[in-house]
Parts: sequence; C-alpha cells; structure tokens
Amino acid sequence: MSRRRLLAIARKEVIQLGRDPRSLILAFLLPLLLVLVFGYAITLDVRDIRLAVLDLDVTSESRKLVDAFEESGYFSVHRRLERHGDAERMLVGGEVSAVLVIPRDFAADVAARRGAPVQLLLDGSDANTATIALGYADAIVSRFAADLLPVRDVSLAVEAETRIWYNQTLESRNMIVPGLIAVLMSIIAAMLTSLTIAREWERGTMEQLVATPVHRLEVVFGKLLPYVGIGLVDVVLASAVGVLMFGVPLRGSAALLLAASVLFLLGAQGLGIFLSAALRSQVLATQAAIMVTYLPALLLSGFIFAIANMPAALQVVSYAVPARYFITVTRGIFLKGVGLEALLGSLIGLAIYSVIGLALASRAFRKEIA
Amino acid sequence: MSELAAPMSELAATRPAVRVSGLTKLFGAFTAVDDVSFDVGTGEIFGFLGPNGAGKTTTIKMLTGLLHPTSGTAEIAGLSILHDLETLKCRIGYMSQLFSLYADLTVEENIDLFAGLYGVRGDRLEERKAWILEMAGIGEQARRLTADLPLGFKQRLALGCAVIHGPPILFLDEPTSGVDPVARRGFWDLIYDLSEAGTTVFVSTHYMEEAEYCHRLALMNRGRLIALDSPATLRGSMADPLLELRTDDTPRAVELVKGLSGVLEASMYGRALHVLVEDERAATPVISEALDNAGLTLRSLRRIEPALEDVFVARVREAGGVE
Amino acid sequence: MTALSRFRIRQIVRKEVRQLLRDPRSRPILFVAPMVQLLLFGYAVNTDVRNTPLAVLDLDRSAVSRELADEMVSSGYFEIAIQAERPSELVEALDRGQVVIALEIPPQFSRDLASGRGASVQLLVDGTDSNTGTIALGYLRRAILAYGLRKSDLTESLAKGPRLEPRAWFNPSLESRAYNVPGVIGILILLMCLLLTSFSVVRERELGTLDQLRVSPVKPAELILGKTIPVAVVALIDLALIVAVGTAWFGIPLRGSLLVLLAASLLFILSGLAAGLLISTVSKTQQEAFLTMYLVLLPSIVLSGFFFPIHSMPELFQWISYLNPVRYFLEVVRAVFLKGAGPVVLWPQFAALLILGTTGIAVAIRRFARSIA
Repeated sequence: MSRRRLLAIARKEVIQLGRDPRSLILAFLLPLLLVLVFGYAITLDVRDIRLAVLDLDVTSESRKLVDAFEESGYFSVHRRLERHGDAERMLVGGEVSAVLVIPRDFAADVAARRGAPVQLLLDGSDANTATIALGYADAIVSRFAADLLPVRDVSLAVEAETRIWYNQTLESRNMIVPGLIAVLMSIIAAMLTSLTIAREWERGTMEQLVATPVHRLEVVFGKLLPYVGIGLVDVVLASAVGVLMFGVPLRGSAALLLAASVLFLLGAQGLGIFLSAALRSQVLATQAAIMVTYLPALLLSGFIFAIANMPAALQVVSYAVPARYFITVTRGIFLKGVGLEALLGSLIGLAIYSVIGLALASRAFRKEIA
Repeated sequence: MSELAAPMSELAATRPAVRVSGLTKLFGAFTAVDDVSFDVGTGEIFGFLGPNGAGKTTTIKMLTGLLHPTSGTAEIAGLSILHDLETLKCRIGYMSQLFSLYADLTVEENIDLFAGLYGVRGDRLEERKAWILEMAGIGEQARRLTADLPLGFKQRLALGCAVIHGPPILFLDEPTSGVDPVARRGFWDLIYDLSEAGTTVFVSTHYMEEAEYCHRLALMNRGRLIALDSPATLRGSMADPLLELRTDDTPRAVELVKGLSGVLEASMYGRALHVLVEDERAATPVISEALDNAGLTLRSLRRIEPALEDVFVARVREAGGVE
Repeated sequence: MTALSRFRIRQIVRKEVRQLLRDPRSRPILFVAPMVQLLLFGYAVNTDVRNTPLAVLDLDRSAVSRELADEMVSSGYFEIAIQAERPSELVEALDRGQVVIALEIPPQFSRDLASGRGASVQLLVDGTDSNTGTIALGYLRRAILAYGLRKSDLTESLAKGPRLEPRAWFNPSLESRAYNVPGVIGILILLMCLLLTSFSVVRERELGTLDQLRVSPVKPAELILGKTIPVAVVALIDLALIVAVGTAWFGIPLRGSLLVLLAASLLFILSGLAAGLLISTVSKTQQEAFLTMYLVLLPSIVLSGFFFPIHSMPELFQWISYLNPVRYFLEVVRAVFLKGAGPVVLWPQFAALLILGTTGIAVAIRRFARSIA
C-alpha cells in the first residue's frame, strides 16, 4: 500500500466535500441539532401525568388525597369532573392519562376503618405512561394510608435502602445522551460513505479510479479517512453538548472514547462502502443503509429498550449489532467511568466489527474491478 | 450585428421556422447569451458551432423552454417561447448532450412513455414505434434494458423518442458527443432523412466535419453570434491567404512563426502548421529563412483552401479570442 | 392553465411503477423491509420489564433470606443472574453491565426480622439505563414491601384504610406492545413516503432525464401526481400488511373502524409526500436529499409521542410537536385500534392532519412548479 496514493485519494475526497458545503454543513449540523433536540425532548422520566379527578365525596379527607397526588409532582390535576360519563369521554379522547375516582362515602369509610377503596382509571392504550402512573399512584395512596395509621412510628418490617450508582437521580438524559452519540454515529457514518461511493459509480468516475494503479485497500482507506475525521469531530461536538449543556458527566477517559469511536466508525463506514459498492446506486445504498444501521441501532442496541427484556432470538441477534457494543462503551465511559478492563469485551466486539467492515469493503472492490 | 445578417438561404427565406430576436441570458453578473438574433428556415439543418461555454446550450435551453430568457424573445413555428410555451412543446423535439432516457426502463417502455407524454397512441403509436426500432436498428432489442445498449444505439433511440410525435422542429444539443465516427455518420444520415421529410433541425456541435453537413452555420463565441452563413460561403470569406507548413519540429515552429512580420496567426493542425499571412509572396521567404536560422528542416510550404476550422479559429480571434 | 391530462399522469405512474419494481434489489425494500421492521418493533420495543437480571448477595444465608430472594424471582420480573459471594462481585457485575440491579441481604437479616425491630436490605441500581433502572427498582421495592407487610401485622390494619383499586381501560394487562405496534404504522408510512419521494426529483435532475420531461407537454402537477400516486399506493399496501400482521400475529385488537384508519392514513400520506417532494425539490444532490431527509425524519419520530411521552417534554418541544403530523396520526391510530374511537372524538386530529397535509402539498407543488418552470 502506498501512503502517497492513499493520501491522494483522501485529498480528492476532502476537496469534493469542500465543494459541496451544504452536505458538509449538514454532516456537522445534523448530529449537533439531533443531540440538542433529543437531549431536550427525549425524557423517559414521567412527570406531570395528566389526571382528572372525580371527587364524589367532597370532604376534607378526599381533598387531602387529591392534594397528595398533586403535591407528589408526578401528577397534575388537569380537570375536575362531575359525572362518571365525563371520565369515559376524557379517556377516550386522550385528554388525560388517568382518572381518580373518589367514591361518595370515602371519608366515612376511612373513619369507620372498614376499607376505603379509591379508583384509578388508566388509559391503558399508552401502556408506558399507565404503568408508571400506576406505580406512583400506588405509592401515594400507600403513604396516605400509612399516615392515617394510629401508630406513626411503626416502621415497615423490611426497609429497602437504595443506592443508585452512576446516575443518582436516575435522570433519563444521562442515559440517553451517551447512547445517542452511538446511534447518531451509526447513522452518519454509513450514510456519508454509502453515498460517496455510489455516487462515483453513478457518475462513472469509479472506472477512472480503477484504471489508475490504485490498490483497492488504498481506495477504501483513502475514502474512509476524511469521513472518520468528520465522524470524530461529530463525536467531540456531541459529547461537548452533552457535557456542557446537559450536564452529563464524563467520568472516564476521553482518549478511550475516541479510540472506541475510531473502531466503530471504521466498521460502520466500511459497511457503508460495501453497501454502496455492491448496490451501485445512491438511492438503494441509502435505503439499505437505513435498514441495516439506523433501525437496529435504535431498537436492538439497548439504547432505550433493554435487551434483557427481548425474546431470546432477538437477544442473539443483538450481538451482531455493533451499536450495542458502542453504547456499552459510551455509557461505561461517560457514566461509570470504567476503563479498558471492564469494557474489554465490548471493545473486542467493536474491533471485530471494524475488521469485518473493512474486509467487506475491500472485497466489494475486488469483485467490481475484476 | 448588421454585417452578420448574412444573405439568407433560399430555404430560410420562405418562412422562418425559428425567429430569434435579441435573446439574452444573464446568470448573475455573467452574460451567457448576449443579444443574439437570427432566423432559421423551414426544413433547414441549422448548425450551432462554438467552443465550450460559448452559450450554445443556454440558447437551445431558452428556445426549448428549459430556461427563461433575461430579455429578448423567439418565435418557433410562429409561437412565442414566452407566451405559447404549452402549445409550443408539442411542436418541438429535444435531445440533449446527456443521454437522457431512463436507463432502467426497456427500449419499448421508454418509447411508450414519451409517446404517452406527447399523446401519441393507438395505430399511430404502433407505426411510430416500428419506425423508431427500425431506424435505430434495435428491432430485436425492444425488450432489453436501455442501460445495456451500446452508446450509438442509445443515441439513436433518444433521437427516436425526441421525434416520436413528428415535431416540425428538432433541437439537438451536441447529440453525437462520445460516439465513434461510423455511428456519427449514421446518425447524420438520420438527420438528413428528417430534414428531407420537412423537419427543421437545429443542431449544436463542436465537431468540424459535422458542421460541414449543415445547410447554414451560426458561430458563437462568448455568448455572441460572430458569424452566420453556409459552410461554403464561410470558407470563401477568408480574405487572407492560408499556408500549410510541414517541418520536423512543429511545436518549435509554432513559436518561431508566430512572431514573424506578416504572419497573422499560426496554429497546429494535426502534424502540420496552418499559417495565416497578410500576403503569400511576402511571407514565404520570411518563414523559410526563419526556420533555416533555427536549424529546422522545411518539408513543404504551400497555399491551401481554408477548412471550416481555420475560419472558426480566425473568426474567434477577430472577435477577441476565447475567454 | 389547462386541465390536467389523466392520460399523461398515467404515463408517469406507469414509468414510476416500472422503475420501482424493475430492480430486484429494491423490491424487498418496499414490502419485506416494513414487515421486518414491524416484527422488530413488535418484539424489541418492549418496555415491560420482565426477567430482569438480578444479582443477589446473601450474607445471612438463612431460610428467611432465601425466602426473600425466592420471592423476588417468583414475581416474574426478575431472575437471579448472579449469586454473589462477596460485595466486590456485586460491584463487578454492575460495572460490567451484567445486571442492572443488585440485592444485598446483610448478615443479621433474619435476626433483625425475628426481633421485630425491623430489618433492612440494600439495593444497588445501575442508573445508566435509567429507564429499566426506574421500573426495576419500582418492582423490587414493591415486592420487598409486600414481603415485609406479610411478615408484620401491618397488613391487616392497612387493609382497613384507603387503598387503590386500579383499572386500566383499553389494555387491561398494560402490555406495551398494544401501544407500540399501532404506532409503527405511522413511523413506517412516514419512512416509506420519505424514502421513495425524497430522491425522485433530485435523481432525475442529476441524471438529466428531468429536462427531457420538461420539454414535453407534461405539466408540473401531472408530474407530481404521477410520481406520488405509486408511493401512496405502496404506503397503503404497507398499511394493510401491518394491520393484518398486527392483529393476526401480535393479537392487537382493532376495535374501531378500518375506514376511519384509512381516511386518516390518506391525509397523513399527503403530509409525508409533501415533505419528501420538498426535500427533493430543494436538494441539489442526492446526498444532500438524504441528509435533509434524516433532518426531517428523526425529529418527526422523536416529537411524535412514539417512544417518548410528549407531556413530559419541555414546553417548547410540546409546542413544536403540534406542527408534527405524525403526532396526530399516532393519536388517531392508537385511539382507533385500542379505544375504538371514531370521528366524533377524533375530529381535532383529523382537522390538524387535513390542514397540515393540504398546505404541505400545496407548498410542495408550488415550489416544485417554480423550480422546473
């Protein structure tokens, strides 16, 4: 392999990128914008669940219960209803996520200590919010009930002391931003390269390149270098936004993060080159790139949906999704501050991926040239 | 421009198929086409000649409605390109320098598509399709993907699709670029057939031998029209004598001859050198002496009839050269 | 402007369909890929926490402590992935991400419990996956609470006070799949519309075929219709496939009217096509079109309420989401599937889809006509 020829191709690629400033700007702007939007908009922390209250009792007891819901911060009382029919309308129309129904004799039942049920009607069509709302409501009512017990200092028989590591407040932003970096990189990387090669085939300039004494590995690396560079800048930008704007801690080594990023980018872009060389059409290459990178990275990487909860078959498949390893690494470095030792398995996964990506890319070229 | 309003050919005199007046196109501060006016006669093969960037393609794009002129107008078949574009589109055919049929459709599907867009259907469609397949020589390949055809066939097919609706006026923008000479010759036979059948053909090219095929030629340079006449008249219009010089080191000879007194222009022409002089008798000894002094062998030096290319080079020089 | 020619529109439609179906490599993208995605979404997008790996460090090693650990497993939410011997093993398991939650039972646990002074256990949670962490922690705490109540005499007295009787409508078992699968319809229709239209114009411009169409009598509106009708048909076929698989395979109930679903889909497709056409018109190269497509696609999904509850977002983003047709379409789809809602309830969403779709397509057609005139 000749370094001079490799650099010549890399230079050509950089020049072409420079000629197409709109794409270049997008390549930097896109991740930045997405980290911002996602960082702000994606929150799995359920707060301010819209609650409608149907208080048929209207006593100080029932009001205290409603206050308990409101003061919890998890619910906001959106509507106060008069009739049962209203409750149904609210839920079908999706105006509220839950309706709290306090029956007529609530205060009397409480006083008589004969059991005082209150109803919580949940909009099960949004199962996520409903599940979480149910958990909160359960806790609020239990607390309310315990406060009413005569002996206040009765401690519960088994106390659970909880210590949350890495992300003490369980803030979803801390989970999402490092994962997002991995997801964005898988998209951008495959996208940029899959387009450049397919474009050369469509315009016929690839034949020109093939006619020169360029080795296929030189083409592959020459094409990759500038895009790995762009990808690394994107990683740095996205990390900076995460740390500076969202206050996500970067506890581990930044160098290790960059090293892992290089491995990941090489693999993802090698794959992109393979796709575009194999399909030779920009449209097809991009469509394939979406199917192969974006969806698995979003769904099967553990970005949001825990892999442990998936059916066994999908769990096996997820081992083939490189974003899975990359997310383990980014979260590990950002939040856990762990080093090489704890992340070795994932790093090996990434290294295998990059080797496969590069091998596929150079193979695709050999076939085309022959 | 008055000296360029050259004597119109007989054909053009009958009824102009294309009448261009003051056509101008600016791209920002750049003037791509500068106040161009001319007429094209019905049934004429009208050649459009000029270096790259002279404004040929821009002019054709304005005439076919692909670009709006900045000022000026044109009438084609009596219809204004500014006001009657919709009707006009049915009267013209257009084939661009890019091969612009769908490579992922078969030959027949491409024909059907353009036939459909121009409203050609029924028996007429069958008739036209048969004609195109035969004309392009691809009868057996009607079901092949267009992408798999050799370039020459693609171009004939593109021509067929451009005239599927039998337009009275056909615009061809460098239709033969990239085609081998034999295929190019065949392509021109088709153009002649169309012209004989009464179609006006407006064709741009930068191949000199193609220019010779045209009834009349318009020379463009830097957005301006610098000459307009039949090839023969253009060739005869060169007042200054042209000498052909052969020597053993042509590149050196060019530099040497260029600076001599009485020499207007010297340019390479294959292995020979074409030298435009003020006066044949005066220049001949000056040239041979200069070559002698420089140690070059003079093989031959004789007066020749100018080719179109010489006229072209001379006219461009007179008009101030290429960019 | 003269009337549009149906004949010419048909020519363009036929050409587009041929081009779409010609390439054997692109065919799977039309119909197989959506299916694969549906299965992926159906199985992978699962926010129900089940069989969460749990690490247990039992320093008490008594019958009581084993009973506690067993109880956690029998809830179905957890399975013991690691039986640790030393505290350091818990740390390691969390560091390596083998478990998200760990339970440590101290040495004197059974003694404390028997003495009536109250015992305590320690829970260690990996907060990096805050989603699973939150849910798992909730379940584990509740399971421990229930265990503790049973071991004390509090159960009875608590039963005499206020208690919550939850009832989930539309989806009594609160399965997340019933929520997610209908949502996939919106995402996939959007994806198909964008993928198939974002390139259609810019590609022809790059290849030079656009000029050949422009010199022909075909009108911009005819060209747009010819290009979009096949995409709309593909989107509708995908819709039918997803509805069929969603109901038959995943058992999602379709309680409302298919007609309402179809009407909403048509309006929604308008928006998708408009976005795709606009991208294709303003882009100079296919690469640019592709990047712009992502710039549209990702925020549309994030701000749609597909994964992430809109009501928890900052106010600004909630406002932005009102401009997002995906948001309204998902509301309609979910309401039709699970709640059996009809136009009486859903008219605001329909109105929004109509407004966004028609203005979108009008702007797209104007921009397009201007760009090729």
